[in-house]
Amino acid sequence: MRLIILAFLLLSSTLAFTQDELPNVTIKDLKNKPINVKTAFAEEDKVYVFSFWATWCAPCLAELEAINEHYDEWSEELNMELIAISTDDSRTRRRVRPLLNGKDWPYQVLLDSNQELKRALSIVNIPYSIVVKNKKIEHIFNGYTQGAEHELYEVIKEL
Amino acid sequence: MRNYYYPFLSFFLLFNSLSFSQNPQQSQNDELEEKKDYGRFYGGVESNLQYYLEDSGLESAIVPENPLRSNNYLYANYTYKNWTAGVQVESYEKNALLNYNPKFNGTDLGIFYVDYKGEKWNITLGHFYEQFGNGMILRAWEDRALGINSALRGGRVRFTPNYNMEFTALYGRQRSGFGVTSGDLFGFNADFFLSEYLNLYEKNQDLSVGFSYLGRYESFDNYSQLQSPDYNELTNAFSLRADYMWKSFYANVEANYKTKDGIINVQNLLSDTFAEPGNAVTFNFGYSQSGLGVDVSLRRMQNMGFFSQREPSTFTNFEGDQSTSFDYLDTFINFTPALTKQHHSLLANIYVFQAQQNTSFEDTQIMRAGETGGQIDFFYKFKKGTFFGGKHGTHVFLNYSNWFNLPGKYTFNPPSYDVDFFGRGNKYFSDYSIEIKKKLNNSWHLGFNYINQYYDQRLLGGGDLVRADIITAEATYNFNNKRSLRLELEKMWAVGDREDWFGGSIEYNFNENLSIYFWDIWNYGSEKAEERVHYVNVGGAYRIGAYRVALNYGRQRGGLVCVGGVCRFVPESSGLTINFNTSF
Repeated sequence: MRLIILAFLLLSSTLAFTQDELPNVTIKDLKNKPINVKTAFAEEDKVYVFSFWATWCAPCLAELEAINEHYDEWSEELNMELIAISTDDSRTRRRVRPLLNGKDWPYQVLLDSNQELKRALSIVNIPYSIVVKNKKIEHIFNGYTQGAEHELYEVIKEL
Repeated sequence: MRNYYYPFLSFFLLFNSLSFSQNPQQSQNDELEEKKDYGRFYGGVESNLQYYLEDSGLESAIVPENPLRSNNYLYANYTYKNWTAGVQVESYEKNALLNYNPKFNGTDLGIFYVDYKGEKWNITLGHFYEQFGNGMILRAWEDRALGINSALRGGRVRFTPNYNMEFTALYGRQRSGFGVTSGDLFGFNADFFLSEYLNLYEKNQDLSVGFSYLGRYESFDNYSQLQSPDYNELTNAFSLRADYMWKSFYANVEANYKTKDGIINVQNLLSDTFAEPGNAVTFNFGYSQSGLGVDVSLRRMQNMGFFSQREPSTFTNFEGDQSTSFDYLDTFINFTPALTKQHHSLLANIYVFQAQQNTSFEDTQIMRAGETGGQIDFFYKFKKGTFFGGKHGTHVFLNYSNWFNLPGKYTFNPPSYDVDFFGRGNKYFSDYSIEIKKKLNNSWHLGFNYINQYYDQRLLGGGDLVRADIITAEATYNFNNKRSLRLELEKMWAVGDREDWFGGSIEYNFNENLSIYFWDIWNYGSEKAEERVHYVNVGGAYRIGAYRVALNYGRQRGGLVCVGGVCRFVPESSGLTINFNTSF
């Protein structure tokens, strides 16, 4: 019974509010340069998509690959940019660079090796994407299924 | 005691939702007005619930006394200007899921902290997570699926005078269950990014170096059997590392040393005399360019088990089985992941290698002091329009990893070893694999895998030597932009242990929100009739915005469940699982 009450409380409370801003967290890019996610992606009216992934996560690669196929069109038509945030830890972090070169993705890549940003955004499982405009979180995609990139496109277009 | 948390929790949630709720439309209107800074409230909720069922077809399935179990986490933070405060309330009711650390029991406050973040200073009091370098001497982290939360409770100061250097000093005790262990940890870390000073960026180069120290002080008062131990209450660990990049080449080297420390025997007890220092060396280098990548990792670890409490706690479960806190990855200070490929297929995840950082003398045949070995990872993309590339290109991945015990002389009684730096001892594990991915057209995506594994259970926890060959074939068909079907077939030929398996999975995506799956792995080749079972699972996931709900009904194969090279043992069971998570 207590469990049900607890579950209900948790559920109802989360319906009432959503996180609306990026946390003040600094992570590194591929050149070890620290990037503060809150202040570095603040161009007015530009839409930023933060996509959390890892080298070992097959659906994440599928998502980034799928977006890549439309990326030229999208970034021409819409004022948008995708930032791919790798959550690889020290086991697989070394695989990030070769994989990126192999894939030839046009995204800026940031490394969240001890999952500081992932935790600050309470991300449980990846793939996970956040759409941000004017420093505000406008939409969240918790997971990826084939074809969801079209939904992402619609979301960005409407912003 | 635990009852007090419910009113607290509900009040907390109610209060927060009343005062800080803000839907997107509202806030858009507010933007025009002068916005007053009330701070920001954020966090997340995760709930994993399992109902264990009797299953006449699965003899070894465990049904606990309270068959409904759950792990629940509420993570809530409040930020105002430079200050952030947060808590994580955890609830394991009635009991945690099977084979989680027995110290995760009931509902309580798991994590609490206050953090100040200025331009150059970052100060944290309470619980915090941290990693030095690759984590070989310290990693405090959380992985809920593995039941790990090794946050330190204490204080940490981070000083970043400019973006080319960073210093961290910390003190804390490591979390274990809802308490902390008896060891005091002191740490210091420095990282220097030298490229700007040396004008390396212009030359297409990059260089960084780092140094860390971690001290663990644990009084011998906890161990009455020790008379005049051969080692100190304080154990020191050091780490030195360098990262270098030149055009498409890169290299990374890290060396770690741990001073002499007592080693537990097979009864999990310390003695005065069995003590050794530890060390680890990792060397990684590679080359990558568009469409081609090679990565080589070599690592040698000797006696690098490092615990915030030297002897593990022991537990007896409801079935009378003994376990220790080490079985739940509790009290581990450092992080030593297995450097092997993480496979996606179900059957390739039966014999998963775990890094052997500990010294372990089990009997006269099984004596280990660490591991040595390496991994080579190769990637190549056949370009569009070539013979192998076809219309859309073809991706090929090769991976080769080999891990061995350290070579040298081992004596069981009294326990001692004298190992060589170079060379290799008995083989623990190897994995050779090739993966091919091909997109035929917009509708069809194909995948193929061949994996050869060698897994010596005689050295790795008991059992016999296993040699396995695995083949998997995968096809995804996209009906349109939203609907797709994925089919995967797997076959494993194995010699030793449970022999041959066959597996299949089918996954259907109705749209971007809803997907369902069915999978079965069948141990048809086992010599034991009771092992020739189907592990059938059916389930689905629904997601919308930040919410995700997943449902699974079926059988859990007993064995290791691994996330990122770290594994947790789970017993055979059968039942219904519900997972829910969201963030706010």
